[in-house]
Parts: sequence; structure tokens; C-alpha cells
Amino acid sequence: MAIGTKTSSTFDQQLRLFVYRYLLRHEKCPRVAEMAKGLARSAKNVRAGLARLSESHAFMMQEDGELWRVAPFSCIPTGFPVRVGRKLWFGNCIWDALGIPAMLAKDARIGAACACCNYDMPIEIRNGKLQTTRGLIHIAVAAREWYKDVVFT
Amino acid sequence: MLLFRSEQHVDRWCQQWNRPRGGTLSLAQGWKLAQLWYGDRLDSQWRSKSASEAESVFREVGLVGEFWKLNV
Repeated sequence: MAIGTKTSSTFDQQLRLFVYRYLLRHEKCPRVAEMAKGLARSAKNVRAGLARLSESHAFMMQEDGELWRVAPFSCIPTGFPVRVGRKLWFGNCIWDALGIPAMLAKDARIGAACACCNYDMPIEIRNGKLQTTRGLIHIAVAAREWYKDVVFT
Repeated sequence: MLLFRSEQHVDRWCQQWNRPRGGTLSLAQGWKLAQLWYGDRLDSQWRSKSASEAESVFREVGLVGEFWKLNV
């Protein structure tokens, strides 16, 4: 999810792409210090850039100033592991978990379970197609309220 | 945005967590939505969608109605 057009500066675009490239390579989000080092900028500059990138909610920050969400990736482990080849990432929710193979245009196996009873419901994407159609997705919060209640969304 | 076995399990979850029933979509709709939403995310010139663009994506996936409106 990310709604709300905002013009990005060149630095913000560089920072955004640095974060995604790091994530794809290392299977985890970079810390502020790593972004500063990688882009030869101060941590203060990086934090300011992350704050701007967070305005669309595509990026979200933890209380300690490190990344929490780089849509569709979660920077912390969740119940939505996504395996692409030998790589492992985590989605923030089932939509984001599906978003990882969608973004990468790769085959994937998503670990998922029924949120009610924890019944195992793995999902496989192969050649751009879902290999199962079992199950349904519930979004608890209306679209215009998504970022007011991220946890239940 | 969570995955459930059935409508009954959605209802049970909503009751347990004191949440009103929200919107549902099929897994196939979720996959199409993910492709439309995230397919361009690695483009160097990517920008977030406007509310109108987001609503257009929802419509393309068949998600219509008050629950999916962003422009109010």
C-alpha cells in the first residue's frame, strides 16, 4: 500500500532504490548507518530522506528510527514468509506477501495460515500464476482508514 | 490484511477481536491487486499512487463500493 503522490528529490530516489537493492541482496533492511555509509551522506540526511519517503506510507519507521516497512517487505519477521529461490523475505500482510513475487516477477512460496484457526495455507506462485485459489482475504479497515489503524489493516 | 479458510472463519475472527466485518476479496483478486500495485515498485521513477489512481486499480480488480473509496 502507498497512496498520495509526492514529488521525490534525486536523493530520495537514490535512497529508495538503495534500500530496495540492499533488501534484495541481503534479505534484510539496511540500518540508517548502512544507508549513510552506502550513499556517503550523514545519518541526519538519511533520516530526513526516510521521513519524506514515509509520507506515502510505502516506507514506515520503527520508534528507534530504523525501518519497519519497505512495502511490500517487512523489516521484521512476520507470519508471512516469502521464499523466492534460496532467498527469504517477509511480507507485512497477505497482500504484501503476494506483492513480493509480483514486484520481482519471480516464482515464490508464501507461508500463510488461516488467521482464525492457524490452518496451514501455503501459497505458490509459478510462472506468474497462483497455484491455488483456496481461501479469501479479509481487510478489516476501510481503504481510507488504512494508515490510521495499520495493525488491524 | 489476513488470509482465511472461509467466510465463516472471517466471521469468527471478527467476533473474537471485536472488529466489524470489513472487505473481502478472493485470493485471485489479491494476486491481481498485488501485481497492479507492486509491479512497478523497482522503477527508478516510481511514485506513490494518487487516491484516484488507487481507486482505479481497485476497480480493475473488481473492488468497488464505499469500503474501497479513497476520495470522499
